[in-house]
Amino acid sequence: MTTKKFNFRLVPLILFVLLLAVLLKGLFSDPRERDSALIGKAFPQFQLPDLYDDSKQHTEKTLLNEAVLINVWGTWCITCKYELPYLAKLANEYDVKIVGLYYDQNYAPEFGQFADIPAIRVEVKDMLARLGNPYQYNILDLDRSLSLNLGVTGAPETFLVDANGIIRMHHMGDVNERIWREKLAPIWNEINQ
Amino acid sequence: MIPELGNFALYIAFAFSILLSIFPAIGLKQNNTRLMAMAPNLTIGLFVFTLFSFACLAYAFLTDDFTVVNVAQNSNSLLPIHYKFAASFGSHEGSFLLWLLMQSGWSFAVAIFSKGLPVDMRTRVLTVLGWISVGFYAYIIISSNPFERTLPYFPIDGRDLNPLLQDIGMIIHPPLLYMGYVGLSIAFAFAIAALLSGNLDSTWAKWSRPWTAAAWAFLTLGLTIGSWWAYSELGWGGWWFWDPVENAAFMPWLVATALLHSLAVSEKRNAFKSWTVFLAIAAFSLSLLGTFLVRSGVIVSVHAFATDPERGVFILVLLTLVIGGSLLLYSLKAGNIKSFGKFSVFSRESMLWSNNVLLVAATMVVLMGTLLPLVHKQIGLGTISIGEPFFNQMFTYLIVPFALLLGIAPLVRWKQDKLNNFIAKPLVVIAISLTLSLTWLFAEFDEIKPLALLGATLFIWIMLFTALELKQTLNKVSFSKLPLSHFSMVLGHIGIAFILAGVGLTSQYSVERDVKMNIGDSAELKGYEFTFEQINNIKGPNYEGWAAEIYITKQNKFVAELHAEKRFYPVQRNTMTEAAIDAGFFRDIYISLGERLPDGAWALRIYVKPYIRWIWLGGIIVALGGFLTLFDRRYRNKKALAKG
Repeated sequence: MTTKKFNFRLVPLILFVLLLAVLLKGLFSDPRERDSALIGKAFPQFQLPDLYDDSKQHTEKTLLNEAVLINVWGTWCITCKYELPYLAKLANEYDVKIVGLYYDQNYAPEFGQFADIPAIRVEVKDMLARLGNPYQYNILDLDRSLSLNLGVTGAPETFLVDANGIIRMHHMGDVNERIWREKLAPIWNEINQ
Repeated sequence: MIPELGNFALYIAFAFSILLSIFPAIGLKQNNTRLMAMAPNLTIGLFVFTLFSFACLAYAFLTDDFTVVNVAQNSNSLLPIHYKFAASFGSHEGSFLLWLLMQSGWSFAVAIFSKGLPVDMRTRVLTVLGWISVGFYAYIIISSNPFERTLPYFPIDGRDLNPLLQDIGMIIHPPLLYMGYVGLSIAFAFAIAALLSGNLDSTWAKWSRPWTAAAWAFLTLGLTIGSWWAYSELGWGGWWFWDPVENAAFMPWLVATALLHSLAVSEKRNAFKSWTVFLAIAAFSLSLLGTFLVRSGVIVSVHAFATDPERGVFILVLLTLVIGGSLLLYSLKAGNIKSFGKFSVFSRESMLWSNNVLLVAATMVVLMGTLLPLVHKQIGLGTISIGEPFFNQMFTYLIVPFALLLGIAPLVRWKQDKLNNFIAKPLVVIAISLTLSLTWLFAEFDEIKPLALLGATLFIWIMLFTALELKQTLNKVSFSKLPLSHFSMVLGHIGIAFILAGVGLTSQYSVERDVKMNIGDSAELKGYEFTFEQINNIKGPNYEGWAAEIYITKQNKFVAELHAEKRFYPVQRNTMTEAAIDAGFFRDIYISLGERLPDGAWALRIYVKPYIRWIWLGGIIVALGGFLTLFDRRYRNKKALAKG
């Protein structure tokens, strides 16, 4: 008669298997999903002035009833310059509604740097005249509160928001023909069917 | 063109790793020496092509090739050139290629420097390394290729490197850590090879000792510099945060330290053998676990890379194969390992055994503290956080017996010693240590804090015993005949003493003060007078910001003039605090610039941190000790190695 003794060297293996289970589970409940956390959520609430007209206020409600691309940009952003003509083409040829979310990178009141809004307006108009204007209107996010709520980490970034105000896609970097075709157009077409 | 060559070289390296994992193994099975002899050559090929591939990536970064996704996302045309180079391993993909470069580099070193090993052993070790490589290369090619193109539509400029990473510490600290992490794969490969061959005599321990020491020394240096980087760059004056990723690097270090000591027993006394094999597996497994934690996004940390569950799954599969496989092998085969060396309850062996127990306990504490929040969340109990107080308290309990034993152990004889010999001496030494440290603290700080007293006492205790041991040994052996590895031990222990004193004193006697200053204002802290001279607008290559000029005096004598900066990185829209530090052997003065207040004054935070440099000095001494082992004649002499 032999009684099998428990092999204590199996203990590390057993512990490891338990750990694996936890890690596997942890993998699919990402604590800091940034992009995908926004997708499927409502566009954050905001109330911000129009870039050209202080008296005109925009809110998340202005965006409703029609699918829209929200494009985060600035005249100081080099990549944005290369993105503008393509966005203008989207707006003019494919009737895509595009709204700009403008922020000024130099604005940093804690450093004593304030924004010169009239100068920015001139700069923006000049640039849009040269490169094409895709925007129905521009929202001025001077203190970057909306950008912050959207988790924007740089410019350009683009959000696709449907008619019910739900964010359907988020793209970091410039929108070009390939990105439009592969990432945005499928959802855009689905919404507008 | 160049990125394609790099990509191609990566595929060739992958092919080499597949060959390395198959043919030499067949050679071993069929006892075919020609197949076995392929192993070193395949390893050399693996290294050469990986090196070429890495060079191509670095080239893409240095030449601002924004057609490569990785470059576009992590570099910028305005970035200074050395940071462009650092950016090539600042991202997930790039750092993994660096990891592979080191993995193949270590394997290459084994192929070159282990000619003294028996052919079958050498082949087996290289084959195991080949197996690991296959997994890693497959991972980078399938899910993390650093050469992916943005073509045909590439951005005109990149998104810039995270400003946190734009620091000299960033250029050197990750590579050092990777050297350590990956270096532990060599000890692992030796252990697995020994398990596979069933031949676990003490020669195995002798072979793997220098490799373990080298990897461990790199890990020590990496941790030390990482700690210094956090201190100088993160801007809040801390030097260790118990951040999950720091913990992930600390655990392999703890286990590798245990392994080094246990290898000594295996080699010299033919004992602890099965345990040593386990530690070798555990050390590398914990390195891999650390990699998983950093790269999968399971935890939140300053170190974490962008998250991607697909990658996480891949690494998890790798973990399962490598760790699960080796633990399974261990549970099946380690039963055959017999340790012959007998020892009594009070002996060097039992001392080293206690060392191992304490180090493993410390590892468990860190592992629990790191993973418990995750487990807690996964089983639906909500989010908890385990922070500094838990770790600090646990480590205070563990470090006292550890440091006390560390002092005595080198004096205790192998096999058996008389406990009676170790009653009077320690009592005298502890009395001296206490008296000296009380005097020291009272003279310097006017106030005794218990934890500082503990650190200082343990420091003197270790120093005195190390001196005693050295004197005793030199009575028997002349200085020139003493093996270098003995000095390694001495340095290692002295280094730990410095770390203990540094931690104890700086944690207890550091002072800080938040001040609001206008130009011309002064503030006082610990006898230092800080005067806010002026504030300037500064402009760097890829940032702009403010620099405050602060003039420091002590008793009207000039001490230093510091420039604390606050920088704004437009491309990333990130604000960074560049602390100004006046470093000294006995104290650091640390200033960080806060916000500008509405009335035009500036908020500043001033710290005086006594003995903080001792922590890093200690780390460097410990690492030096590790590197010194490599020059020990016993491990360099090929004949001695072959004979074992």
